[in-house]
Amino acid sequence: MKNHPPQPFRLLALALSSKGLGFAVLEGRATLADWGNKLVTGDKNAGALKKVSELIAHYEPDMLVLPATNTPGSRRSARIRKLGEALVTLAATHKLKTRLLTREQLMREFITGDQERTKHALAECLAGRYPEELGDRLPPKRRPWKSEDYRMDIFEAVALALACRLRQDRRRKPGPTKQRGA
Amino acid sequence: MASSPLTNYLRKHRKRLGLSQDEVAFLLGTQSGTRVCRNERFVREPSLETALAYEVIFQQPIRELFRGLYRKIEKEVAARAGALAYRTRRQKPNRQTRRKHQVLDRIINKPDDET
Repeated sequence: MKNHPPQPFRLLALALSSKGLGFAVLEGRATLADWGNKLVTGDKNAGALKKVSELIAHYEPDMLVLPATNTPGSRRSARIRKLGEALVTLAATHKLKTRLLTREQLMREFITGDQERTKHALAECLAGRYPEELGDRLPPKRRPWKSEDYRMDIFEAVALALACRLRQDRRRKPGPTKQRGA
Repeated sequence: MASSPLTNYLRKHRKRLGLSQDEVAFLLGTQSGTRVCRNERFVREPSLETALAYEVIFQQPIRELFRGLYRKIEKEVAARAGALAYRTRRQKPNRQTRRKHQVLDRIINKPDDET
């Protein structure tokens, strides 16, 4: 039997955006320990790195979950790509494991069938999963002429953390065993 | 590696109820949210009176609100119970010492709560 390494207890997931970042702390199987936004002004990358360092110091996570910003075809801005790289380096300095998840992987985890693969659909799904914590944080659906609501970062961060946990659980689950004589 | 719970989960429960730090401070009977902020950031441990007030506000038992602190204290008490059990084993066995050993064994072998 394959021995799996112990599952990381606490995950810190970060969603990077033009306004700052959203964060979510997931403990155990799927308990949300904290969630929120960190708005950054001025030198945004330096500010964001400082805020993330504070979050790491406070929550002492086992793993950092980040959106994959440098995949081919990614449409993230140069600043966000740089910030993504800097966060991976920061995690390494704190001896933290890092997981990068693409938007596709996130959507596949939560949206099934013919549902629209949009951030709003993802947020609705998570608000349904955590009604007490996130129910009243769900922003209205974005109109095409409006910019994205800052609260959407929280949902993206929660989605990253939960998707990472679900993938770990699947990997740890033993596969179907062949029955003799079947 | 962090495999232990956080010292407290006050921020989580405050956010879950949609209350601000100032509002919680008002319910605690203090002037501003500074004390609440310090409690949430693990900078300062609340008094017993404040901890009980948190239990009333968040409708969660203290051991759940201060899970990390509870675990730490639990371990310390278990270690002391081990020392006391060692000391009492040298006493003459009677009904009272047997009862004492049962109590101390229960403290020492308390199974960890699942998170």
